[in-house]
Amino acid sequence: MSFDPSFMWTAFLSLFKALPTTLFITIISVAAGLVIGTIVALARLYRIPVLSQLASAYVTFVRGTPMLMHLLLIYFGLPIIIDGIAGLVGSSFTSASIPLLAFACIAFSITAGAYMSEVVRAGILAVDKGQIEAAHAVGMTTPQALRRIVFPQALAVSLPNLSNSVIGMLHGSTLAYTISVIEINAQAQIVAADNWKYFEAYLAAALLFWGLTVLIERMSGWLEYRLNRFQRGGAA
Amino acid sequence: MIQLEGIRKSFGKQQVLGGINLTVQKGEVVVILGPSGSGKTTLLRCINYLERPDQGVIQIGNQKLEGKHPGRSEIHRLRQRTAMVFQQYNLFKHKTALENVMEGLTIVRGVPRDTAAEIGIEMLEKVGLGDRLHYYPSQLSGGQQQRVGIARALALNPEVILFDEPTSALDPELVGEVLEVIRRIAEEGITMIIVTHEMGFARDVASRVVFMDGGAIIEQGTPDDIFQRPREERTRQFLRRITPEANYSI
Repeated sequence: MSFDPSFMWTAFLSLFKALPTTLFITIISVAAGLVIGTIVALARLYRIPVLSQLASAYVTFVRGTPMLMHLLLIYFGLPIIIDGIAGLVGSSFTSASIPLLAFACIAFSITAGAYMSEVVRAGILAVDKGQIEAAHAVGMTTPQALRRIVFPQALAVSLPNLSNSVIGMLHGSTLAYTISVIEINAQAQIVAADNWKYFEAYLAAALLFWGLTVLIERMSGWLEYRLNRFQRGGAA
Repeated sequence: MIQLEGIRKSFGKQQVLGGINLTVQKGEVVVILGPSGSGKTTLLRCINYLERPDQGVIQIGNQKLEGKHPGRSEIHRLRQRTAMVFQQYNLFKHKTALENVMEGLTIVRGVPRDTAAEIGIEMLEKVGLGDRLHYYPSQLSGGQQQRVGIARALALNPEVILFDEPTSALDPELVGEVLEVIRRIAEEGITMIIVTHEMGFARDVASRVVFMDGGAIIEQGTPDDIFQRPREERTRQFLRRITPEANYSI
């Protein structure tokens, strides 16, 4: 068996078919994770009774278990719940009609939410308390103050951590192959097995992931530069 | 008119305000003096509920708030009658000078953007920053930032402006420009309550001086009353410490 560089190109082209699936899982789980993370972070920061305890339990459980476990628990557990409810209300809906991709997105959103809640919490805590006091003093309500004053500044400081989370979710999305979602990793396995050229196929997949990661790093760097314009000082 | 009745506040076991009564008439400039830890900043922050008093009544105009847990909307309405200038300026860091001044107008008062911009420019010109409209706080000196803070308060046209040690964080050479701006707006008849350590300024600008110590008002009166003829021993002690007489020889 010898290394066949020309096959890498063949593999690469076939991997592109799976690129949208990988991007879809990543974007959905990051977006949903950011929403969940923000709600969880606020519940904990404002010590909202019941909700903050639930939020803490969620974060410690999800961060304390592997991402693969979340996927498997959702994949095997959610149908039981859904079919149970459908049976109770007499609906003809069955979990079999839910696309596999949806299970991956739900599971990874739960994963991302827990990790991102810590990123959001740190970002909010990094904003000077005087900022929200000033917002209150000009007459803003707390939601207005959070939206207009705290979040934009928190986002600017959390960008490096957020881009870490996005990269983590991109790479983590490969786990979806365990429930037969054809993302880049699964596609690599398919081309590899068809042609009996595993190393070339996985090397091509690795390069594709590397390229995507560099792209995310660049975008986050650019955003960081833009969003932190206000902190640079010097003359305008 | 502002009326404070029996304002009490403790942090843990430490009592900071022990039942303060204070009335401020429209157009008055009241300067609160006192040693650090006397509760003057806490009192000021109770007026707009940045600090919740444990007990007492706060009345501004015809709106009355009582005790520790008034409704959220009541606090919100009370705050709209006031504006505050902070020791650390607390300008919105991600917004330019003009945006800082406009923010309260557009978001809270619902003023259209172009009207708000007009008011904003007018206020920034008033504090001498007409040429710094689009600068971020990080691009301004402490004195300039504090003047933006004053413009932001003025723009809201509040019933009272609360100044919390507005020059304490400034380099000495920048104190003058800020005091000058406050002095100028004091002449326009805006009601102000000022906590400060600048004695000369207090004397100049105050229509009434309130001296606080240990969470209580010890005495109050015109600047001349307090600075020339203090009745209370504690006031005298404080003034001696803050304006040391030349008891040395060269």
